[in-house]
Amino acid sequence: MAARPTIRLIVPGTLAHRAVAVRVVAEACRLVSAPGIERTADGAAYDLRHPFDAEFVSAFAEIYNNIAIHAYGRRTDGGEIELAIAVEPGALTVEIRDRGAPFDIGVVSSPDLDSLPEGGMGIHIARALLDEVVYEPGPPNLWRLVKRIAPSAVTTATADASA
Amino acid sequence: MPIQFQRTDQGDESMLRIAGSLDVLTAPELMPTIDALVEERRPRVVCDLSGLDIIDSSGVAALVALYKRVRAVGGQVVVVGARDQPLAIFKLLRMDKVFSI
Repeated sequence: MAARPTIRLIVPGTLAHRAVAVRVVAEACRLVSAPGIERTADGAAYDLRHPFDAEFVSAFAEIYNNIAIHAYGRRTDGGEIELAIAVEPGALTVEIRDRGAPFDIGVVSSPDLDSLPEGGMGIHIARALLDEVVYEPGPPNLWRLVKRIAPSAVTTATADASA
Repeated sequence: MPIQFQRTDQGDESMLRIAGSLDVLTAPELMPTIDALVEERRPRVVCDLSGLDIIDSSGVAALVALYKRVRAVGGQVVVVGARDQPLAIFKLLRMDKVFSI
């Protein structure tokens, strides 16, 4: 089997560069959710009309925030965030590497939603919206985010591509 | 993506329209407006999110802070117009019921 096509991107690990990373991930999502179909973002907004795109981008943004805020401590002179985005038929895998402070994901518990929390929701959002959220402390620290598209959507996309 | 917000008062009601992206970078811009609504003890705050394209957990936290703080001084908060990604996130966090969406 041929190696899956991988998009690589390195950005400074700051919140100011988050939009660049999110935009690239949003574009990669389209290669899974609507392969071969050109869609145009309307104005300044990301095109997140497909639930797959919206859910992956929502999860990715939370993990990016986590790295910039906690691993790199909001420093603007910190390290980099490396993305390896693998597009496959029906699935997207994003590996994110940073050289900031590692943390113990084992101590992250689900927030008590009934108490209206004002924090601690990021990892919960990512876990709920993706099929896999794996964290391995480094250096480099590694996050692996995987989401598969619903089988019916893949069938439709394949049919469209062969038509 | 920037945030735009606008506060309009009519009688006891303050309408707060939030558009664009409410996230870790833009949520702090909203805080002075939230502070003012709490300080003025506005009886009813309606948050119109029909122009909101995307939200993250920091944006949700800002809305939860608005909700808690206005209620703590005797006011009520209603959220209207949420759609697409923000609505999905509210439902995931079970805040659609809290906000009466």
